[in-house]
Amino acid sequence: MASSDTFAYLRSRYLPDHLIGEILSKRWIDNAIPFSALVLTILVLGSVIPDFLSLSSLTDLARQFAEFGLVVLAMTVVMISGGIDLSVASVFSLAVLFSLIGVNVYDLPIPAVLAGILAMGMCCGAINGVLVGYLRLRAFLTTLVSLIIFRSIYEIVFVMMSTSMMSGFSMSDLWLFIGEGTVLGVPTSLAITLVIALAWHLVLSRMRPGWRLTAVGGARRSAFNAGIDVRFMVFLTYVASSTMCALAGFLFAARLGSTGSDTGVGLEVQALTAAVLGGTAIGGGRGSVAKAIIGSLLVLMLTNGLINLGISGPVTSTILGAILLAAVFVDMRWQKHRHRILAKVYVSPAYLSLPPAPKVDAPGSPYVLNDRLRSVEIIGLGQIEGPEDVILDRDDNLYCGTRHGDIVRFFGPDHERSEVFAHIGGHPLGMAFDRNGNLLVCIGGMGLFQVAPDRAVTKLTDETNRSWTSVVDDSRLRLADDVDVAPDGRIYFSEATIRYEQEDWATDALESRPSGRMICYDPRTGKTHTEIPKLVFANGVTMCPDGQSFMFAESWTCSISRYWFDGPKKGKTERVISSLPGYPDNINRSSDGNYWLALLGMRGPALDLAMRMPGFRKRMARRVAPDQWLYPNINTGCVVKFNEKGEILDNLWDLGGRNHPMITSMREHKGWLYLGGVSNNRIGRYKLPDADPDWCAQDAYWGPRP
Amino acid sequence: MIGAIKQAWANFRGFDLTGSTVPPMDGPLRPNAKLDAAPVLLDLADVDNLALWGQEVLCSVGCEIHTLAQTAGEDGQGLSISRSRGMGKPVTSMAAGADLLAVAVEGEGIRIESRDGASSELIVPEALDARCVTAMAFADRSTLLVAVGSDRNPARDWKRDLMTRTAAGSVWRIEIGSRTAVPIASGLAFPSGIIMSKDRVFVSEAWRHRVLSMGIDGSRQQIALGSLPVYPGRIAPASEGGFWLAMFAPRNPLVEFVLKEDEYRRRMIETIDPDYWIAPSLVTGRSFLEPIQGGARKKLNMLKPWSPTWSTGLVVRCDKDMAMMRNYQSRADGDVHGVTSLCEADGRLLVAAKGSGKIVAIHELAGHIA
Repeated sequence: MASSDTFAYLRSRYLPDHLIGEILSKRWIDNAIPFSALVLTILVLGSVIPDFLSLSSLTDLARQFAEFGLVVLAMTVVMISGGIDLSVASVFSLAVLFSLIGVNVYDLPIPAVLAGILAMGMCCGAINGVLVGYLRLRAFLTTLVSLIIFRSIYEIVFVMMSTSMMSGFSMSDLWLFIGEGTVLGVPTSLAITLVIALAWHLVLSRMRPGWRLTAVGGARRSAFNAGIDVRFMVFLTYVASSTMCALAGFLFAARLGSTGSDTGVGLEVQALTAAVLGGTAIGGGRGSVAKAIIGSLLVLMLTNGLINLGISGPVTSTILGAILLAAVFVDMRWQKHRHRILAKVYVSPAYLSLPPAPKVDAPGSPYVLNDRLRSVEIIGLGQIEGPEDVILDRDDNLYCGTRHGDIVRFFGPDHERSEVFAHIGGHPLGMAFDRNGNLLVCIGGMGLFQVAPDRAVTKLTDETNRSWTSVVDDSRLRLADDVDVAPDGRIYFSEATIRYEQEDWATDALESRPSGRMICYDPRTGKTHTEIPKLVFANGVTMCPDGQSFMFAESWTCSISRYWFDGPKKGKTERVISSLPGYPDNINRSSDGNYWLALLGMRGPALDLAMRMPGFRKRMARRVAPDQWLYPNINTGCVVKFNEKGEILDNLWDLGGRNHPMITSMREHKGWLYLGGVSNNRIGRYKLPDADPDWCAQDAYWGPRP
Repeated sequence: MIGAIKQAWANFRGFDLTGSTVPPMDGPLRPNAKLDAAPVLLDLADVDNLALWGQEVLCSVGCEIHTLAQTAGEDGQGLSISRSRGMGKPVTSMAAGADLLAVAVEGEGIRIESRDGASSELIVPEALDARCVTAMAFADRSTLLVAVGSDRNPARDWKRDLMTRTAAGSVWRIEIGSRTAVPIASGLAFPSGIIMSKDRVFVSEAWRHRVLSMGIDGSRQQIALGSLPVYPGRIAPASEGGFWLAMFAPRNPLVEFVLKEDEYRRRMIETIDPDYWIAPSLVTGRSFLEPIQGGARKKLNMLKPWSPTWSTGLVVRCDKDMAMMRNYQSRADGDVHGVTSLCEADGRLLVAAKGSGKIVAIHELAGHIA
């Protein structure tokens, strides 16, 4: 048994299988399949075709990619907004034609030709945009018709001007530079395309117009309801698309210098293939510049490679069609099952071996079962839902958070009347008062906030420093839990886990990974940094009377530790209690210099055994529905009092959970102990028989009211 | 290798291979709270083996047999213990015939008593292990059918029998006069209920969650009622024809999963007290050391009725072919759990819930609840 445990421990510690789930949950994972297809294609073609990866053929490929990539990017942008633009091919060919006419026949200056071509592109796009965006015609049919019409214009003009185009040529250096020059070793057209692609990437991923575009494509009605001008956005996408195609045509004309009757024929199908291969959804809402680039590279390489191998045109098209079919199929399966796969793969349990649970009620045990919390007075029954923490101010007013994002104040001393003190959002968890009477509150899902006595809400911090070794973006605060303030004003708060959000915190119990941390926010500098990383569900925090250290709880390891942040022992952590009979939550100071601790649930032998068998928990997470998983028993909670040395002094229970099935926090105030629970609909008030009836936590810590 | 291919095919086609699913409670098993609404006649911890012998209602608690009599309480429907006698060792099963009462005593054998108390003989058949007699039924005046749950575990260790996946149960036919016992079925997975009807014997095979029917000699074994989402227990005859079937514990997807996890099961059985196993139970919530499942967490101080649970109360009315017609249930938030025995008396059904320790009454008038 011991050897299999050791094996489980080593495997859990050194094989980082939690990374699989974290990588799969990244936004860029959608590109993984087409990207691997691209790498595979390069490898296969590079080995089969000699000189496929030589510099000259790569340069040629680069120039082809510059034009084709722009067209695919244009198609992608329109597809992201939920439409489709089949006329890209004929706008492209029109641009080629008119560029050559302008340069070869009429000898116009190149910048003027460029301006004219872009204007032409905008006009073509405007036609499409008005028809599809404002007149609400169907995109497919409309752009098909404009494809045919623009193509007809091309045919007519081409026949008229072909001889004069062929006989003229341009002496312009700028023309040559665009067509055959390089910028810092990179072909000019490629440089232009890359700049445009980078600009689009920034717009689509980091700027509001890009988000609005994706919103229009993803959920048109919701975008309209949110106030986005849907018709104008659609109009703009068609204008942008045709402009980019016109630019692509211009670059094509500069490179080849001539055009034929079949220029741009079939380009719309190729561009559509490339866009879909890259992973852009035809329905809209999903797509990116990276997808467009990967898709166009794939199509170009395949086409070039197949031609190099001597395969004839129609057969190449057939092969491309078959690949498109396979790509659509794989993409569809991935989109359909991605969330399911992610849900199954994400939970990665780790090995956790706890010391044996202290036997409650055994002779000599400091834990004595009782029913003292059965008879608590109830405050706010049914008026509040989810008061995870409770705190009282100098005027005996009681504050608590609710799952609706409110901080509710019950007016002392009877706590019958209540009002919403502040509405912040998220789920307010741990609270503390600072020196000036501001209420600091950790909001699960949002971060650390402050409510001034005049009810002004300010956000103190919602991010910390990013650690280099974490795949999950741990600069965000997902589950800020409990908070306390050092005498010099520095605020220490815990973040329970970086892998799960507020509503999923109990799944972290199944994992029991060191994904939590202790964070410090310094209001003097406004900076936040992670003080203690890699804790197992860091939960309650409270300052010790020496002003240099704090006690903190790690829930799933059932332990309390002490950390020195100042003084001679700065940076040290010491275990105060190693084995509690349950999972600790919030810690707060008591009137006699000791600490109150809430146990949010009790340990059971079945779960303790399962913690030593991570393979069992992983299979359970994959094969059994989440509602049926083994969880910590949070239906019974208790309150424990301990001292600095870790000795248990007292405990209070509500066995059977009639009034308080789960307790996450308790606060002593003027001889009473106030209880809160994150899944309860009430606050409890218990009379402490031997406590100081005038003790107020704020006065005791900060001194009397200034 | 084959497993990997099968898993890949299942993933591709989108169906589930895990086999830890439980059939839903639907149709005649549609959930309700009728057992909780039924009037409580008597609170008696560990009450089991309800039997109607002549006009007397008997039950057993541990080593004692109690006779229950009606008391005229406020609603006039209560029961109380009028007489008790000890049998020395735990009573695991009782069956009442026309004038004979069979009592299976663990470790001793089967005691046959007659009405006037005159004769009381103890049958100790050789091959029959009397540690685990779970149910008995009289086929006729001189033939007793006995269901032995398991060769390896006594009756009170049924949880261990389930979690070790034992199928060592058997059904015997005992001729009372000649004191011979003939096995008519073996290798059963915990037969927990038995009844004779015309020429068929119905046996509840608990761990395979089905009810079998066979001839009096064990031939023509068939499945009368299969794919149950609960473990079937004792069967009692209904005066209008058909049967009452008591289900003593529900099937649970997590338990099904643990039954396939051999290493975890072995360590759990060896190191943990049976009360705290991941296993079905007659009652839940007695100790906080019991495991709980995600959906069984209390939210806003309430336990949802449909939450996963280790125990439930379920009584099913079946017709003469053991097809289910309707049910009376106590769900996760109810308090009539662990129904192990039933008997009809005075036009109503007495239901003994051993888990919760109470006897409730179900009145039915032509199918309606009074």
